[in-house]
Amino acid sequence: MAVIPLLVAIPLVAATGVALSGKWLPGVAADVAGFAAAAASVALAAVVLVRSGGIVTYWFGGWRPARGGFPIGIGWAVDPLGAAFALLSLGLVFACLVYSWRYLKSDRYLYVVLMLVFGAASAGFVLSGDIFNIFVFFELVSVAAFALTAYEAEESSPLQGSFNFAVAQTIGAFLVLFGIALLYGRTGALNLAEIGRRLNADGRHDGLVVTAFALITCGFLAKAALVPFHFWHADAHAVAPAPAAAVFSAVMLELGLFAVARIYWTVFAGVLGQFEHPIRDVLLGVGALTAVVSALMSGLQRHLKRMLAYSTFAHVGCFLIGIALLHPDGVAGAAVYILSHGLAKTALFLVGGILLTARGGIDELQMFGLGRRLPGAAVAWFVAAIALASPPFLGTFTGHALIDDSAGAAGYWWVPIVLAFATIGSTAAIIRAGLRVFFGIGDRDDPLLSEEPAESPPPEEKPRLLVMNTVALLLAFAGLAAGAWTGLAAEAVHAAHRFTDQISYIHVVLDHRPAASAPPGEWVTTTSSVVWSVVTLVGSILLGFASTIRARLPRPVTRALAAGFTPLRAVHSGHIADYVAWLVFGTGVIGGLLAITIR
Amino acid sequence: MLPYLLAVWIFLAGLYGIVTSRDLIHTTVCVSVCQSSTYILLLAIGYRKHATAPVYGDIPSSRRVVDPIVQALTLTDIVVAVAVSSLLIALALRVYDSSNSLDPSQIVGQRG
Repeated sequence: MAVIPLLVAIPLVAATGVALSGKWLPGVAADVAGFAAAAASVALAAVVLVRSGGIVTYWFGGWRPARGGFPIGIGWAVDPLGAAFALLSLGLVFACLVYSWRYLKSDRYLYVVLMLVFGAASAGFVLSGDIFNIFVFFELVSVAAFALTAYEAEESSPLQGSFNFAVAQTIGAFLVLFGIALLYGRTGALNLAEIGRRLNADGRHDGLVVTAFALITCGFLAKAALVPFHFWHADAHAVAPAPAAAVFSAVMLELGLFAVARIYWTVFAGVLGQFEHPIRDVLLGVGALTAVVSALMSGLQRHLKRMLAYSTFAHVGCFLIGIALLHPDGVAGAAVYILSHGLAKTALFLVGGILLTARGGIDELQMFGLGRRLPGAAVAWFVAAIALASPPFLGTFTGHALIDDSAGAAGYWWVPIVLAFATIGSTAAIIRAGLRVFFGIGDRDDPLLSEEPAESPPPEEKPRLLVMNTVALLLAFAGLAAGAWTGLAAEAVHAAHRFTDQISYIHVVLDHRPAASAPPGEWVTTTSSVVWSVVTLVGSILLGFASTIRARLPRPVTRALAAGFTPLRAVHSGHIADYVAWLVFGTGVIGGLLAITIR
Repeated sequence: MLPYLLAVWIFLAGLYGIVTSRDLIHTTVCVSVCQSSTYILLLAIGYRKHATAPVYGDIPSSRRVVDPIVQALTLTDIVVAVAVSSLLIALALRVYDSSNSLDPSQIVGQRG
């Protein structure tokens, strides 16, 4: 399909054009160019998704390898999950561009440029079938993200967040690059399918393959904000402009997980297939730790964007659990979960931006009751919060249900409990903050919340609250509705079978054979998944109301709670040196566990 | 084996520098040190004994050459490094402008 590269090329070319001419053009022209490029690539992504029933390949410059020959050129291989991810990412970039029409004043054309580059690079990342290409696209996503984080660099907070983010992400990229270099040294190939075929033919699972797997996995987990690689992501989310933080949460972190899954199933699934059990246990452990720690941390934040960031990390832990089950149902669960979470979480961040614009603050306690006259924002906030609480047949329900059922079938009885804990903890924090800000319910002081520096509102021409509210409302309701579409879950199961079939992927890319027929996707609602979803919904709402008045607990209890959280708080020091030390420590532990267990 | 150990050694030296750094420019240089270890690793993988540069203009095509792919990867890697380093230096300059200091502990705004 010749249109495939266009959906990355159009936003990149538009971004270059706007960057070169933006200084002389009126601001509106940059906005219009941004809308047009983003809209065109969204439309193309939709076309590619509809037509990517099997796996569609595209070879740049016509360097299509002979049947069974060595792939010299760079090839893309588009499967339905990758195309859907590209559509989600470009769609959210488009929504954020519309939202921020008048949001940022200073040099707005540069913001348009960075958002377009972010969207284009993330689409290229998920469509590519070449491991070095994937690395470069991720670096492009990251560099755009660093610059977006520092966008309003009038005060020191954005600088700290961006600097920490850039250094730590870059170290993570080196880990990935080391892994890629080792794979190239062994196989002489960079095409995912060719690396996989050569590793399978070789059959050795020695230190080199395990080291490469550990380095690539840890490098991408570091980019996905898994504990203990989440510190710098929290800082970056808190200081980035709201629409940028929204796409970080909804797209960028999930890209890291997508890469882990894509590279495992195209490269390592054959040669490390007999070690499924230890790999599953290690990754499930990381996911569960992330889900629990982040849910607790989200309850301790008073800065709304930082609280939402920790809520995202809790969900990212759940996504990793879905992928770590190493079963198509789990992958399908993670995919539909990422969709509804991405829509709802974007809406929440955008409401944060509305509060900052209309009321000049983003601190939960300072904003107490100040959101009363913002009905649109309030509705969007609570609808999105409910969508994230996994209510029966709405929002993240299908994702939860697929992961729970898949875990149950594999004998991991504790997975639904961890998912419910993460969902209740993180959603309760969102509901608590919403009740305080929009309704003035609860107490004005809260001994458990951490101190945060104030954030100044973005410079404004005229607030376009109507546009901003509309975008936030549409996304919130879309996030809620995504779960009601049970046909989507079945489609995702079908696509996930395709995604996890290494042999078929290799045949399509290298031998030009049609994709092996994946089993038709089907998905039935189980009683236990409905029960769990009622538990998470009711639990989130009750805990959300209860935590608005937690200052009224007897003093010894609050003191004990605060003391219990002190060590957890203390490790989030804001120092890049500590973060890099954690990165090294986490890589050592995860890599060491993989090395010990894969024998 | 030696180049691989050298790459790991330089990477660890760069990490040590970042972890103990008290100056943002110093941190940026240490990131570059880390990155240079990846160049050595890539070039070491493409090395062949008694081989020459992979430019076929004035050598017989039967001549043994080193792997050009890893050299292309190294070049791309350098481009990525330039983008990241320039961004880090720009941020460090902004920090210096606003706080007259390059000590990372001076700019810690958020924690916990």
